[in-house]
Amino acid sequence: LKTALVLILLLPLLGGIFNILLGRMLSRRVVESTACAVVWGSFVASLIAAGAYSGPAVVEIGAWFSSFNLKVPITLYLDPLSLSLCLMITFVCGLIHLYSIGYMREDPGHVRFFALLNLFVWAMLVLVLAENLLLLYMGWEGVGFCSYALIGFWYREAKNASAGRKAFIVTRIGDVGLGIAIVWMFQLFDTLSITRLNQMGHLVTLGVITALGLLLLLGAMGKSAQAPLMVWLPDAMAGPTPVSAQIHAATMVTAGVYLLMRMFPLIGVSTVVCAAIAVTGALTAFYGATCAIVERDLKRILAYSTISQIGYMMLAVGSGAITAATFHLIMHAFFKALLFLGAGCVITAMHHEQDIFRMDRLRHLLPGVFWPFLAGALCLVGMPPTGGFFSKDTILAAVWAKGGMLYGALYMVGMFTVFLTAVYTFRMMFIVFGDPLAPIPLKQDRLHVQLKPLPRIMKIILVPLALLSLVGGIFNIPPYLGNGLLDSFLAPLNAAGGSLSHTAELVLQGIAVIAATSGIGVAWWYHGLERREVRRARADQPQKGINAFLQAGWYVDGLYRLLFIHPYRRLSAILWQRVDEGVIDDSLDRMAAGFGRTGQFLGRWGRGRVSVYMLSLAGGATLLIAWFAWEVL
Amino acid sequence: MIVPLTHVLIFASILFSLGLVCVLIWRANVIMLLIGIEIMLNGAMLVFVGGSNHWGMADGQIFALIIMAMTSAEVSLALAMVVYLHRRKKTVNVDEFRELKD
Repeated sequence: LKTALVLILLLPLLGGIFNILLGRMLSRRVVESTACAVVWGSFVASLIAAGAYSGPAVVEIGAWFSSFNLKVPITLYLDPLSLSLCLMITFVCGLIHLYSIGYMREDPGHVRFFALLNLFVWAMLVLVLAENLLLLYMGWEGVGFCSYALIGFWYREAKNASAGRKAFIVTRIGDVGLGIAIVWMFQLFDTLSITRLNQMGHLVTLGVITALGLLLLLGAMGKSAQAPLMVWLPDAMAGPTPVSAQIHAATMVTAGVYLLMRMFPLIGVSTVVCAAIAVTGALTAFYGATCAIVERDLKRILAYSTISQIGYMMLAVGSGAITAATFHLIMHAFFKALLFLGAGCVITAMHHEQDIFRMDRLRHLLPGVFWPFLAGALCLVGMPPTGGFFSKDTILAAVWAKGGMLYGALYMVGMFTVFLTAVYTFRMMFIVFGDPLAPIPLKQDRLHVQLKPLPRIMKIILVPLALLSLVGGIFNIPPYLGNGLLDSFLAPLNAAGGSLSHTAELVLQGIAVIAATSGIGVAWWYHGLERREVRRARADQPQKGINAFLQAGWYVDGLYRLLFIHPYRRLSAILWQRVDEGVIDDSLDRMAAGFGRTGQFLGRWGRGRVSVYMLSLAGGATLLIAWFAWEVL
Repeated sequence: MIVPLTHVLIFASILFSLGLVCVLIWRANVIMLLIGIEIMLNGAMLVFVGGSNHWGMADGQIFALIIMAMTSAEVSLALAMVVYLHRRKKTVNVDEFRELKD
């Protein structure tokens, strides 16, 4: 087990370092195959670890550092949560690596790309497997760095580089919360081990736990793009599409949710924290869905949808349903990776066009992309019997089971968001791929560009992901059909929540299906048949009212500019022009001028030759020393 | 300690006088003047270290470290000034710079 665990971590790290050091000297084929091989090797190692798994295990690999009472060994923790996430990460990332071979086929920066992707996988696995918070924090910052470097991968365009910076800075605000929480926990409990921290909650008062929980929530908000720190994720789409799929949809953004799940035994006792997590999640889910409805950039729609789906996971964590959150996390990784990779195919075929209104009826031109994409969309919407249906339903059922006014309201928001999700997903489907009821095959020449042929590997990758999205539900079937695999596997992690009768659950699922179907209907009503041409024409005019509000992402960016950036600029202008130039520089300049004048005045008595000064200095010193010697001796 | 204090002092004074002579004689080049100053400083530093060893106190060594830090700052400034002076007169001869008088 230990070897397997070490291999899981070591392989991607070695792959990354190998590519950094030697990648430039080797052929493209070698770089690509190393990068993919190490991730798949890591997947195999995870499988072996899963096979050898018998119960939660703490494995100490080596000492990292220790001073006084702070001891931080490199310890890994394998429990159902980290094991299932490990399998998911290595599998999805492996597929994305393969896909990247096709996507980056013509890019000269492939060495940097694959090295960073490998390092990312390593950092993410460290984050997931870490047993102490400091190791987790290292992985946390590692994924943050890789994400920054990959968002700004095409750094020659200022827009991309600043998107990378924005992501880095916004997540850093959240990291401050996490950092404070870690240091504080060490001060309180004298240990950083997650397993021990989770058993020590009763030692401190509820108020402290609440504060710790809120700090951790702040960290999770930054990393997982939750309100109010969600502004970086839509801009993060500036990176290459595989990066968006791997980092900003499947794995990294779920790190915040993972952190909260990991620390849930500690912070879950506080009802305030739970409520805060749930409210954040529900609000963000709603926010993301509303923004996605009017967005016209294909990748940004998916980014908003990611924000929204992670909101669901947070909602689940806040309701104490860790299984539901994990289940949705894994399903989301499958279908969102699928959607992003499909979008990458579409975008490549359209010569890097991302505006959905420039695409039309691609269903007939790209059938190999359309069918997997449809599977992903159905899964995102939550139509039975796809995996997304079961996972989203478990979350909503858990929220409903929690009862009370607050969670009742959150359930309503969640259910309304299901409807919105269906609307925006199928708006995208109808606009990009065409209306199924109006089967006028689009001729190649009616599109304004010639479609570019896709590498075969890019289409093949979509198939396993599509299959997993469609049948992923079997991992955790609802209780009325039998016992869920994940449910029993993750059982020790769950907080005791209310359980629902099978009828109630069926009713809730029925409501969800009705909401989703009506959402699809609304999308079709707006964007189907001949009305699509009207919409298309209208989309090119400037937006007004609610549409403009939503398209600008509720003007959150503008609000932050007004609240933080603008005052900061004013303050820096004052400090620069008044304080630095006015006070410091001016006083120094005056002083220098004063010295100069004094020097001119004193210089009248000398000859102005440095060598003479030197000689007289030496002579004077000799005289002084001689006099001292005379006196002393 | 095998080297007695007197030896250290003698060696340090030799270093110091070498540096002093360098400073006084070598007028054609500002950089040599700076090097001379460095050598003198090293002689002084050696006295500090030798003394600290002789009396078993760390103060002298700490002072030597401070001198090192100060010297590096001084050299970086002085070299920048040499570059600047060279740009102005296309020479590094010490005696060419006599604006203080003329």
